[in-house]
Amino acid sequence: MAHTATTPDALAPPQATIDSVLRSAANWPNFSRAIPYLLVPCLFVFCVLTIPGYFNKSSILSLFILSSFLGLASLGQTMTVIAGGVDLSIAAVMGLAEIILTQRYAGGWPFWEICLALAGLAILIGSVNALSSVILHVHPLITSFGMSLVVGGIALEWSHGFTTGSAPSWLTSCVSPIGKTGPIPVPGIVVAWIVAAVLAIAFMRLTRIGREIYATGANPTAARLARVRSTWTLVAAFVISAMCASIAGVFFAGYSGIADSTVGQPYFFETITAVVIGGTSLLGGRGGYGRTAMGALIVAELTTLLVGLGFNESTQELVLGILIIVLASAYGRELRVSARI
Amino acid sequence: MATVNRLDPAQSELQPPSEQAREQLLIVEGVARSFGETKALVAADLAVATGEIHALIGENGSGKSTLIKILSGVIPPASGNLLWSGRAAKFSNPRDVQADGIATVFQETLVVPELSVRDNVYIGTDGLFRYGRRKRDEVTGASAAIRALGIDQLDLDRPAWTLSLAERQLVTIARAIVRPWRLLILDEGTSALDASQRDRVFDYLRSKRTEGKSVLFTSHRMDEVFDLADRITVLRMGRTVSSYPVGDASQHQVLVDMSGRESVEDLEAAAEHASDAGAGEGGLAHGAVLRVEDLVLRHGASPISLELRRGEILGVAGLEGQGQVEFVECLCALRRATSGRVLSIDNEGHGAAIHSYADANRHGIRYVPRDRRHEGMFAPLSVFDNFAMALWSKLNVFGVLKRNEAKRRYREYSDASHLVAGSKGRSVSTLSGGNQQKILLGRWVAMNPRTLVLNDPLRGVDVRTREDLYQYFRSLASNGIAIVFLSTEIIELLRLTERIAVFHEGHLHALLESKKATDTNVVAAMFGRDPEHHADA
Repeated sequence: MAHTATTPDALAPPQATIDSVLRSAANWPNFSRAIPYLLVPCLFVFCVLTIPGYFNKSSILSLFILSSFLGLASLGQTMTVIAGGVDLSIAAVMGLAEIILTQRYAGGWPFWEICLALAGLAILIGSVNALSSVILHVHPLITSFGMSLVVGGIALEWSHGFTTGSAPSWLTSCVSPIGKTGPIPVPGIVVAWIVAAVLAIAFMRLTRIGREIYATGANPTAARLARVRSTWTLVAAFVISAMCASIAGVFFAGYSGIADSTVGQPYFFETITAVVIGGTSLLGGRGGYGRTAMGALIVAELTTLLVGLGFNESTQELVLGILIIVLASAYGRELRVSARI
Repeated sequence: MATVNRLDPAQSELQPPSEQAREQLLIVEGVARSFGETKALVAADLAVATGEIHALIGENGSGKSTLIKILSGVIPPASGNLLWSGRAAKFSNPRDVQADGIATVFQETLVVPELSVRDNVYIGTDGLFRYGRRKRDEVTGASAAIRALGIDQLDLDRPAWTLSLAERQLVTIARAIVRPWRLLILDEGTSALDASQRDRVFDYLRSKRTEGKSVLFTSHRMDEVFDLADRITVLRMGRTVSSYPVGDASQHQVLVDMSGRESVEDLEAAAEHASDAGAGEGGLAHGAVLRVEDLVLRHGASPISLELRRGEILGVAGLEGQGQVEFVECLCALRRATSGRVLSIDNEGHGAAIHSYADANRHGIRYVPRDRRHEGMFAPLSVFDNFAMALWSKLNVFGVLKRNEAKRRYREYSDASHLVAGSKGRSVSTLSGGNQQKILLGRWVAMNPRTLVLNDPLRGVDVRTREDLYQYFRSLASNGIAIVFLSTEIIELLRLTERIAVFHEGHLHALLESKKATDTNVVAAMFGRDPEHHADA
């Protein structure tokens, strides 16, 4: 029985031992939050050690280009997920943007006018995704999935009969490891991704709508009672998502050079993969784009690693799947009600 | 430090709580548990005898909830001994603990909204592939449990989301008592119930005592503790400071033990002083801010008309489901009344009808909901985010946040309200109930409200924080803010408010003046009887 007249301080160990840190349930979330940031350099070192001749500028830039595609496509996904939704139309919008750009550019339209048209389309698609979810009281998962089928259908119909199309040559160099951005010896898409990432992080942290996205995802009822503009918030998230998908689609046009409505298909799940691996919760209200950027890098590194080691596509999916489950269970151990004081 | 009665088991055996010494059902010795750097429990001791009703009390953060989670198998203790009917026990997971005969009702009213009352009562007892029992047995068991708790009629097939908070709480109690229990643990398990329901639950618990069943409960209501308990154990800062049979302790002694102060006089004196200051502000322009005109809450109920004045605290009372909640919801247009209207009165005396929640907010009517977890908090977000979320609508330049101004207001508010939140970046879900409530209140106070509508704001808040908040409410009122204060605690209403609106069967049954009214007047009005006097409408 501890009935001696000790003060609380005298009972406490002088310093937390590693053992107590590992045992303490409350410390686990702090550690698990650091996992993606640790995984990125670890996987990179692993690539360098296991793939012969990997450590050179061209390979590293290729890795970044690969991450940039996924990073741009999953930027808006991060916001829709934090707002408590999910956008399943990203892959289809990417495909549609790619087709419109290559077709119209071959048809003689100026590049920037096509981009303007794509921006208008993105606003329309994002708004319909969000508003139909609000008005019909269904999860955005359903409305954006419907949208995905509609947009995919239109893209397929449009590309039918045309197998050609072209992209501006500077756009092609934007996604090539030997490309440059002005004086910077880094291809355009990587620069675009870095700029977009900084903007996205600032947007989520420093703007009213950014904070309201978190509030809406964390507790929609409380958000309504606190006069948070939930509908407007959801619209903003889905419009940004469609915009980012269009931008990724435009870069894809530079990559493929011809009209191909299927370019977005691998991204149907990969955007969600990047978001989840980064540690943004699908329950909404927690996470951030910095984490998703790490998620995109991890996915790109793993793909590079497995391709470099000669594994086929099915093995890559298997490994990604296992990683998602392992990481999700690690993140799942957040501070629970039971640990509250 | 105050001198306290240290718990000494040898001594308590010499002085048994009743005539004959009882067998100890549960003994807790020197149990400790930390969360990261926070030492939630340092040395908890507790002994619950067979057939005893035992109150475990302490301020928020004293370690009650942690101890209860350990006893329920939700979290393991870091050190210390647990003895269950004389044998060392592990309490390693909730299922084993339940099998041993410990049933717990947690503070949060945990029900699955989509499931029926019956399924909610029996949830967790089924195996993965087969039902634990036949439907017929479930119906009999559930309705017997619910009747035992004093509800005569509750449709067992109703989905839980249609239930009131009080009914949900009764369902969670029913869930505990349909299991074969020997020790029932109630962690603030009756806090959502009104006085008459609570009494019926207490009658049930007393009746079980003779069968040799024990109860361990926590409560922030001192009258409840002294009414129900046979023995009281007081925790402070993670330690057991005293334990005595209820007859040996005065309320005063218990308060002293809980707070660790020499006396509670200073607390009371401070409260007295504040209330005098509030009353002295009579000169402040007592113009109307809100006018209710012929408001009919339900079909067939009589219309309600009253005026709320600047700087007034209006109490709202009633037994569960008598219309008082509908009334406060109508005030901020969260609910549409059958007929009648609510007008916001500006400083020139012009009235503007409130049609929507957005309208109400535009006119400075701010609502603090009853259910913190589901309607108030953004659980994953930080303390500061929770505080400032509404404020951003004012503090932004083209959508970019003016964080420094918000931080200044946060500091100002946390000083004024004695908020204890640690760093402002901390997750709000790690705060105690009282401090969470302060954050939710601060969300609106920072917006300079004209009227605050508070729906049972002190539910599950400890005594000391309550005193803080009483004083804070008075200071808000003396600054001219009108406060509508719904509460289930009559004493609280009498102490804090100027008038009390008592609801019965959907209409305003009585409007009592708090200074002249007594406990009995209010209770009589709650049951629909005529009170002795009325205040002016």
